Amino acid sequence: MENWLYELTGFVLTILLAFTVGMFYGGLRRKVIARAQNRIGPPVYQNFLDLLKLQGKTTNIHHGVMSHLAPVWVIVAATASLLFIPVLHGGLWFPNLTFKGDLIFLLYLMVFGSLGMALGVGESGNPNGAIGVSRGLSLMVGYEIPFVLSLVAVMLQFHTTSLTDLMHYQQLTGHWIALENPFAFLSALFAVLGMFHYSPFDIIGAPAELASGPMSEFGGKYLGSLMTGGSIFAFVKLVLITDIFLGGAGHPELYTGLAGVLIGLGELILKTFLLYMIPVSIGIVMPRFRTEQAVRFFWKWPLAFGITGIIWGLYHQINF
Amino acid sequence: MELMIFFLIITAGTLITFFIDDISRKLTGYAAFLTILTGIVYYASIPMGTVWQMHLLGFDLKWMRSPAGDFFAWIVLGLGLLSLMYAIKYMEGKARLGYFYAAFLVSLGAMTGVTISRDIVSLFIFWEIMTWSSFLLAIYKAYYGVETKGIKYILFSSMGAYAMLTAIVFIVHYYHTTDLNTLWQAGAFGFSRHWFIPAFMLFGFAVKAAVMPFHVWAPGVYTRTPMAYTSVFSGAMSKMGIFGMLLIVAGLSRLDIGWIRFILGWAGGITAALATLQAVRQNDAKDLLAYSSIAQLGYIVTALSTGTRMGLMAALYLAVLHAAFKGALFLVAGAVEKQAGTTDFREVSGLIVRMPWTFFTALISVIALAGVPPLGGFVGKWLVYESLITETHSYFLVIVIFFASTAAFLYAYRFLFGLFLGQQEHNTEDVHEASWWMLVPMLVLSLVSILTGVFPGLVFKPAAKALSDLHLPSDGWQMSILHNAWNNGVDTITVGSTIVILFLLTAAFITLKGRKNTRRTGTKDISTSGEIPQPDDNLNFQSGFFQPFERAIGKPYRWSMDRIWTDIGTSLAAFFRFLRKIYTGNAQTYVFYVIVFLIILLLFRKQIF
Amino acid sequence: MNEKKDIQIITRPTKAEIEQAKINFSPRCTSAGRVNDKETQKTVQFILNFARKHSLFLLAYGTGCGAIEIPATLTSRYDAERLGIRGAATPRQADVLMITGYLSVKTLKRVIRVYEQMQDPKYVVAFGSCTINGGMYFDSYNTIKALDRYIPVDVYIAGCMPRPEAVLKGFAKLQELIQNGNAGNGECYRKNLDWYRANQQKVIKNWNFPDEYNW
Repeated sequence: MENWLYELTGFVLTILLAFTVGMFYGGLRRKVIARAQNRIGPPVYQNFLDLLKLQGKTTNIHHGVMSHLAPVWVIVAATASLLFIPVLHGGLWFPNLTFKGDLIFLLYLMVFGSLGMALGVGESGNPNGAIGVSRGLSLMVGYEIPFVLSLVAVMLQFHTTSLTDLMHYQQLTGHWIALENPFAFLSALFAVLGMFHYSPFDIIGAPAELASGPMSEFGGKYLGSLMTGGSIFAFVKLVLITDIFLGGAGHPELYTGLAGVLIGLGELILKTFLLYMIPVSIGIVMPRFRTEQAVRFFWKWPLAFGITGIIWGLYHQINF
Repeated sequence: MELMIFFLIITAGTLITFFIDDISRKLTGYAAFLTILTGIVYYASIPMGTVWQMHLLGFDLKWMRSPAGDFFAWIVLGLGLLSLMYAIKYMEGKARLGYFYAAFLVSLGAMTGVTISRDIVSLFIFWEIMTWSSFLLAIYKAYYGVETKGIKYILFSSMGAYAMLTAIVFIVHYYHTTDLNTLWQAGAFGFSRHWFIPAFMLFGFAVKAAVMPFHVWAPGVYTRTPMAYTSVFSGAMSKMGIFGMLLIVAGLSRLDIGWIRFILGWAGGITAALATLQAVRQNDAKDLLAYSSIAQLGYIVTALSTGTRMGLMAALYLAVLHAAFKGALFLVAGAVEKQAGTTDFREVSGLIVRMPWTFFTALISVIALAGVPPLGGFVGKWLVYESLITETHSYFLVIVIFFASTAAFLYAYRFLFGLFLGQQEHNTEDVHEASWWMLVPMLVLSLVSILTGVFPGLVFKPAAKALSDLHLPSDGWQMSILHNAWNNGVDTITVGSTIVILFLLTAAFITLKGRKNTRRTGTKDISTSGEIPQPDDNLNFQSGFFQPFERAIGKPYRWSMDRIWTDIGTSLAAFFRFLRKIYTGNAQTYVFYVIVFLIILLLFRKQIF
Repeated sequence: MNEKKDIQIITRPTKAEIEQAKINFSPRCTSAGRVNDKETQKTVQFILNFARKHSLFLLAYGTGCGAIEIPATLTSRYDAERLGIRGAATPRQADVLMITGYLSVKTLKRVIRVYEQMQDPKYVVAFGSCTINGGMYFDSYNTIKALDRYIPVDVYIAGCMPRPEAVLKGFAKLQELIQNGNAGNGECYRKNLDWYRANQQKVIKNWNFPDEYNW
């Protein structure tokens, strides 16, 4: 029974961690963009205030069952993916459900959220939302291809489809997979750019062009829940790439216990923040691609990097 | 003998149904339903392994209820039962019901016959009965354009059937037997020996399984057949093609499997990718489902071509799942057609309020089609990817399949958005929910999708028995844990329960928080920059829904296999017109030819003889 | 000699007439004089008001000349984002509706619809003197002269048009009102709907709003 309580604590703490870090990253992003534009910008805890205000709205409007449940799908997909990804190495953080699912499963689970939200957007009947959904789904076909190419390259190079095995390898040898298969890493980076929907791939929710696309009919507690889901999902994506390519976080062989957890979390936050700055800084300076330009972009150089990654992986196969 | 009795029951039922239509048009559907119910009950009572042999016109016919055939027979019979239950209300009030139900029952019986055949000749006989009975249903609707599509269907099926017949002739010539067991042991279906035997047999099976380039009949026929039969057509009959391919793969050696992996694998992959692209473009729900069927069959064919433990299980699992969700989707399209009059996305939309149960079925089936956990389609897709990555190492084929699978999200969403979501228009105001005779089959099929997602072992156990019956790798399948060759896996109960619990918690939170202040508004109350949409303002976005995607793809949208076949047909017609100049059809010309030939013989008899 | 008959003689209104006009035309919902009667849940209200005042989603409905001051306020020199103000694309997402100047009757119809589509608590900030008394267009036939007859207004920012510093000061005043619980007139609008509708239908001739009120 206490095993069950331990697991539940693990779930809750992981979700809280993802939520807090994700929201702070959102605020940090706004700060970085502001500084790049030579102004002060909002405080880093701004996203928490936004969330409080949205949840504190005294009237809420929805358009039906699917529209009401749309944020639920996003949160479920984000949290479920979170529980299957190892946050820190070894036994430092709670294992959650990391041994019960593998990379291919994660790929499909992450898509779940956007599909559910698309259904909710559809029920509202707003044509702007429907256009946004069509653009979003088309873009998804674009960036999923380099992403799966890089994952396949890593899977075949290390003969495993499990995330824990990849982290174990990086912990054993101390090498980062980003350096072992740089083409796969580049391909995954491009895909991550697309996943975050910052410029140049933010055609989906262009505020002035499309009345923010899919989010046009969400307000109040629905918008607040969408923000929560989005933050957790951002954390999930960052930790996934860090775990696969940047060596994960935490050194269980050097530090254990509470010190180990804190140092591990610090390293995780450092790595994910630096990784996060890549899409953010590209997003600050770039204009927007049209949808077909964006989709075709992913099938040029990122596809080439991905295929090179697979061929590289075939030559450097490791059976550990 | 029991197997023969089963067919006698079906035949008797067919005759009764056909003639009862003259007595009372209301009873025909119920008679057909009772026939298939009796047939199923009787079939279930036949013990496994019963054999029936007969010597007919110099051939030894052998029928057996085997685990392999049984797996497919249950797909056929189960889907047939549910479709006939659906057809009772769906076909109400239509004409020539005796013809419809008689052909329906004959095709169900013939499909069961295909699965119980243990020799090539009875397989062929049942195959042909299956083809012409489904052709009768393809031309059931008597309006212009239906016959041309039906003729295309029978033309391609005949080409396949003649190829199969040629293969059978060669088999009898080289091996002097028609028994499948003997042929498997002799390795008759290997490409390294007489290559045309497996090639022609595969051609015949590929036509039914709608593999490129023989898929051109499928979109026209699937959309113009009554939806009650299309679910069987696409769900069960295409699996007969898969069953045939499975028989071929069963008899192959390790050397020959390489050919199959390359040819069939890539054929399946290209079918999946190109058919998915076409499905994205469609504006009518039935066309979309037809192309989607072709694409899903592409996955099954690729999985089958691997010949490995996980690949074969993926093929069988996806066969069951595809019958469940595609059958349900065609039934949904039929329900919408019956209630609202049309399935064109541009004419009907916003049916979620009017037909909530139909929407629920469509939602579950579409989630299963997209392959999203925790429903069943994910398990099938997982098995396909794992077999391609870990067992056959065909990485580029994985990319093609993954592309098709991701693009499938597009048309999956379009189906739901086009029919059920979107603006609620005036012309759907008096649409009401389909009757319970139509809803229950759809809900049962959704239940199959849900259950097999959390407990895939429900399909794994019978499929493993089927595979071991054919001496194919089939070990180590558990009720709810998937694992691959590198010992990584997924625990489906954990996945399913996690998602369900998280969903319930989050839904409870978002529903209960501020529930007094939450209000529902209609689809005309949307933020349109302050404009007030009047009742007849059209805000429904349906035309050119995926125009950016179509523009991004570009050139492949202009390819058309249909055009290639039409061009072949036209050039053949030109050649035949040229031949007509020689074989004019005029008896006097022929007499002239004979006389000229005799004169030449007489003149040059010294040199010739 | 005939012009003498066309001269309209304007007399000063009597005290009774002035008092009656004050009752007829004074706006029903203002922030002034509102009593914060929520004694319960003071802490919750304090935290929520703190969040609301530091996170304002602005529907920059650029309806009049004042619209050109909004980009200046939001961008680098006068940075309104440090107060937590950011743009929202649709009324469903927005808290604050900005009426930036004169409103023609045509635009008023759309503004009313937009205001009704927003979710509570919602605030209206009115720029410029046109919203106070008609401003430069006081004698035009198709602009409205006093905004708060048609939708409730929280903060007026005087000027023609107000500079970004004035806009920021107006938002600071709005924040003060929010913290004290004096802002947010959506509920008052619902209660006095008849009065507002009467005023609106007096000027808007082609009335095609749906019958049931949209919150």
